[in-house]
Amino acid sequence: MSELLPIAEGAELREQARLLGSRHRRGLIGMLALHAVAAAAGLAGPPLLGQLVESVQRGTTQAHVNAVVAVLAAFLLAQTILTFFARRASFVLAEKIFAELREDFMRRVLGLPLSTVERAGTGDLVSRTTADVDSLARTIRFAVPETLIAAVTTILTVVAAFWVNPVAALPCLAGVPVLVIGTRWYLRRAPKAYLWERAAYATLAGRVGETVEGGRTIDALGLRERRVRRIDADLEEAYRAERRTLHLRTLWFPTADFSYVLPVAAALGWGGWLVSNGQATIGEVTAIALYVVQLADPVDRLISWLDEIQVGATSFARLVGIARVPPDRSPTSDEPDGDDLSARGVHYAYYADRDVLHGIDLDLEPGERVAVVGPSGAGKSTLGRLLAGIHPPRLGRVEVGGVRLVDLPLDTLRQEVALVTQEQHVFVGTLAENLRLARPGATDDQLDEALSAVDAGEWVDVLPEGLETVVGAGGHPLTPAQAQQLALARLVLADPHTLVLDEATSLLDPRAARRLERSLGSVLEGRTVVAIAHRLHTAHDADRVAVVEEGLLQEVGTHDELVAHGGSYAALWDSWHGDR
Amino acid sequence: MDQGTPATLARPRRLPGPGRIRLPVGDPGVPDTRSPARLLLWVGRHQIATLLGGMLFGILWMVAQALMPFTIGRAIEEGIVGRDNRALAGWAGLLLGLGMIQAAGGIMRHRFAVFNWLQASFRLAQVVSHHSARSGQAVRGRLSTGEVVATVANDAMRAGGAFDITARLSGAVVAYVVVAVILLSSSAVLGLVVLLGVPVLVLLVGTVIKPLQERQREQRDEVGKLTALGADTASGLRVLRGIGGEHAFFHRYHSQSQDVREAGVRVALPQSTLDAAQVFVPGLFVVFVTWLGARFAVSGRIGVGELVAFYGYAAFLVIPLRTAAEAVDKVTRALVGARRMLDVLAVEPHVVESDAPAAKPPVGATLRDPLSGLVVESGLLTCLVSVQPEDATDLADRLGWFGDDEGVLLGDVRLADLRLDTVRGRIVVSEADPVLFSGTLRSELDPWGRASDVAVLEALSVANAEDVLEALPAGLDTQVDERGRSFSGGQRQRLVLARALLSDAEVLVLVEPTSAVDAHTEARIARRLHEARSGRTTVIATTSPLVLDHADRVILVRNGRVVAEGSHRELLRDDAGYRDTVTRGEDL
Repeated sequence: MSELLPIAEGAELREQARLLGSRHRRGLIGMLALHAVAAAAGLAGPPLLGQLVESVQRGTTQAHVNAVVAVLAAFLLAQTILTFFARRASFVLAEKIFAELREDFMRRVLGLPLSTVERAGTGDLVSRTTADVDSLARTIRFAVPETLIAAVTTILTVVAAFWVNPVAALPCLAGVPVLVIGTRWYLRRAPKAYLWERAAYATLAGRVGETVEGGRTIDALGLRERRVRRIDADLEEAYRAERRTLHLRTLWFPTADFSYVLPVAAALGWGGWLVSNGQATIGEVTAIALYVVQLADPVDRLISWLDEIQVGATSFARLVGIARVPPDRSPTSDEPDGDDLSARGVHYAYYADRDVLHGIDLDLEPGERVAVVGPSGAGKSTLGRLLAGIHPPRLGRVEVGGVRLVDLPLDTLRQEVALVTQEQHVFVGTLAENLRLARPGATDDQLDEALSAVDAGEWVDVLPEGLETVVGAGGHPLTPAQAQQLALARLVLADPHTLVLDEATSLLDPRAARRLERSLGSVLEGRTVVAIAHRLHTAHDADRVAVVEEGLLQEVGTHDELVAHGGSYAALWDSWHGDR
Repeated sequence: MDQGTPATLARPRRLPGPGRIRLPVGDPGVPDTRSPARLLLWVGRHQIATLLGGMLFGILWMVAQALMPFTIGRAIEEGIVGRDNRALAGWAGLLLGLGMIQAAGGIMRHRFAVFNWLQASFRLAQVVSHHSARSGQAVRGRLSTGEVVATVANDAMRAGGAFDITARLSGAVVAYVVVAVILLSSSAVLGLVVLLGVPVLVLLVGTVIKPLQERQREQRDEVGKLTALGADTASGLRVLRGIGGEHAFFHRYHSQSQDVREAGVRVALPQSTLDAAQVFVPGLFVVFVTWLGARFAVSGRIGVGELVAFYGYAAFLVIPLRTAAEAVDKVTRALVGARRMLDVLAVEPHVVESDAPAAKPPVGATLRDPLSGLVVESGLLTCLVSVQPEDATDLADRLGWFGDDEGVLLGDVRLADLRLDTVRGRIVVSEADPVLFSGTLRSELDPWGRASDVAVLEALSVANAEDVLEALPAGLDTQVDERGRSFSGGQRQRLVLARALLSDAEVLVLVEPTSAVDAHTEARIARRLHEARSGRTTVIATTSPLVLDHADRVILVRNGRVVAEGSHRELLRDDAGYRDTVTRGEDL
């Protein structure tokens, strides 16, 4: 149903990664330098042991042994201290980079064109702000630093081995061909398989969540065993994905393991031959053999993080991809002259060539109350969104005081016109925070006023901590009706001169809705109101009624005029109102 | 872990036909729920063979590694120092052989370990998720959705870890003993240093782990809050758009993001300390063993090859000891997870079936609720108007047997004396806000898989949901999102109405089926519903005049009792209380 948000690709992705790196160049270089020194300190063991072997071989004293071991201990101490600082530097840097990345992302999300958010739906966006940010955490906190550190350690170890004796060190590279071939094979397949695995578990989690929430429905429709089979199918999918990744590892792990032990055997064999030819000493061969043994650890860490990095890169691409959404409005410095809102020849299509509005003209008198009625799917809500500046019209203009809504900066737009729909969301936080979204500086008294204007005073008073009660997911539960009142209270606080209410009271008990609309009435006095409604009393109370059918404005007039006219509104009114 | 599934993920093609991989077990069986440990043991009993296999290869793999320092030592001693090329080739060859055994044993060990993990985790995931699928609405009363999801997604998977680790743990124990024996045979002092010193040093490193875990937990909590905030912002964005407040939101996210960062920086201290300790402690051990070894070598008690081997053993022993620490951690986590799974398994369904079900009443039997005095005439469309909204839902619950036995009769038989499947098959209650599940639209509208496409389209037409279908790119094959989220409230309501109709129930009870649709649509649905259900028993709890106008009978309920009945127009004319309820207290 929804069009997905863009994902960064190829060159653009590399460019974004490069930008991120260059912003933190100094930190990165400093961190790598610390790790390099720490790794270098860790390379003292093999040559010192080689020297011990050599000197024991030639005959030596306990004092010499003590001295060599003391040097070994000193290097160990240096390595320990350097490791501590290097690790801390990389953790701190990773936290900094990651915080910056997710905050940039969230800033972009909050600035996304309104129509894009509407069209893409919330699912994709939620999964980017949660799953992708989380999956990137592992990459940035561990995979990237570990890989860099492992790479540095690997290089330094090889360099050290060549330093000891370049000819004897040649077998260091014996494992490279096997390792490269095996790892390339693996990396070409692994990310896709791990993403499959992850997607399968996400589906499973979703299914279980749905099962718990729909427990009553499942029971009522006699679907329990079907549900069990569904869950098993999801588990099976996850199991298959696990088997796939296991299969990949089954071929790759032994290749890697073998490539670590091959150079050790080669170093010994080749070294022994060199020693017998006088081209290397026993100490050198020992040192190199130990280096090669020691090499397995950083190389293993290096390659085993690579698939994680690939998976992280896909999340990164989804986060920075948001930047590709083009803006749908270009604020100008034009200031609206007056509060009158008008739509002229407005067309709108969610999908190309499928207009849902076919040219609507509507002028709103400041202070009037217009009810928009019509069948589902006629385009009522779309019209409401255009009037609130959520979407730019495909053709035609929607203006306030002579300025197109899409030429206004968002903050100004909200002072002109606001929209409340039946889609409600209680944000995590206190009730007061939920209200202050609409007017950041509002006092508690103003909040109380707004709440009583929407008839919410009573239930708010009996909340455990009043305005400071934490609501939203995981907090004090609000009924849909209370959430709707909260949304309307926000609207009162936002204080725009024009309001678009799209089925804004539909979740309330009919009698409560009526009462609410009456008390709202006093607050809305003097404001322009467009009320999209399916309850006809709203239309009855309005100054004018606009009937939208099939994307066109079919009838406009007062309630009495339209009833007298005998058109579709009159027919509806009769059936709703019975014979009275 | 409710994260939605990124729809862009390309999935590898499924294996076709008979080669398709199936779950390790079809039916997970009845778990032993007496205690967390018993639950885990019950799981283990089903996979003894693979557990033993894993242990065997774990031992092979670890011992092959443990013997490598010895081999390297001999190669240097005999081959290089002793200038014996044949011996050198022999020992290098043996090393290569050990490498192959290690690689082969390692992968077999890994495969067995993963199978052990998968079998255990998936069996537990099945047990828990099946139980919650079968418990109806009872689970929600006891646990939050998130908690149940976490038991399947996290706890079951973690519990498997206890089985995964058995392979490596047994390898570690045997390898430790092997190395200790080799060292003891060279030198009693060295052997004892290794046997006793290493565990002490590992305990030392362990002291850093506790504060680290503490701060990691704090960091996870902060991350959890940030994720919740991110999800909250993204899912509320459409609402936020109508009213403004983006700045306030960014500020909130930013400050939590900085809290996460600070928590991360606090983790950095113990984490870096641990990392440094993991360099220092084993390093110290290597230094000490090297020093002792070198002294022995100088005094001629051991050869240089053995010295090199000692160095190798000292470095190697870190692995089995880390494994032991990991095993303790994994078993602890598994027990904690098992405890949480038992919480889910302890939930009992609300409805308890009788042991000896009564004979089924004939089709067309009258449904009666003695408590309220309600009699549902079969074959008619009856509307229930309740002055207090709770009465309608209570009545619907009773008519469908969703709680204790309250004496509702179908014909002469109490519902509670029937089998639950019989009741659910004949009486379908669609509550006020039913859940639309994910799957293809066709399979979600007709989850029983018995209606033709024509019948599905007919049901959609009765529910006036043709426009919903038209807007979908793939028609009936469109994938419905989790909980039908991508549909608006009104669209969802019409779709679940179509689903209720397709249940083809003998008695269909609908609670406020049109509360979220506009008046035009409501009028159309009421008319079509009456036609579509003609001759069948239908009960609709509603206060909408547009629906009431199409009822065969209207029943007014006040304070839980039936107080009046007649047609909509009669009641409107004769009953002031009725008028008041359905015209929403208007005085037009």
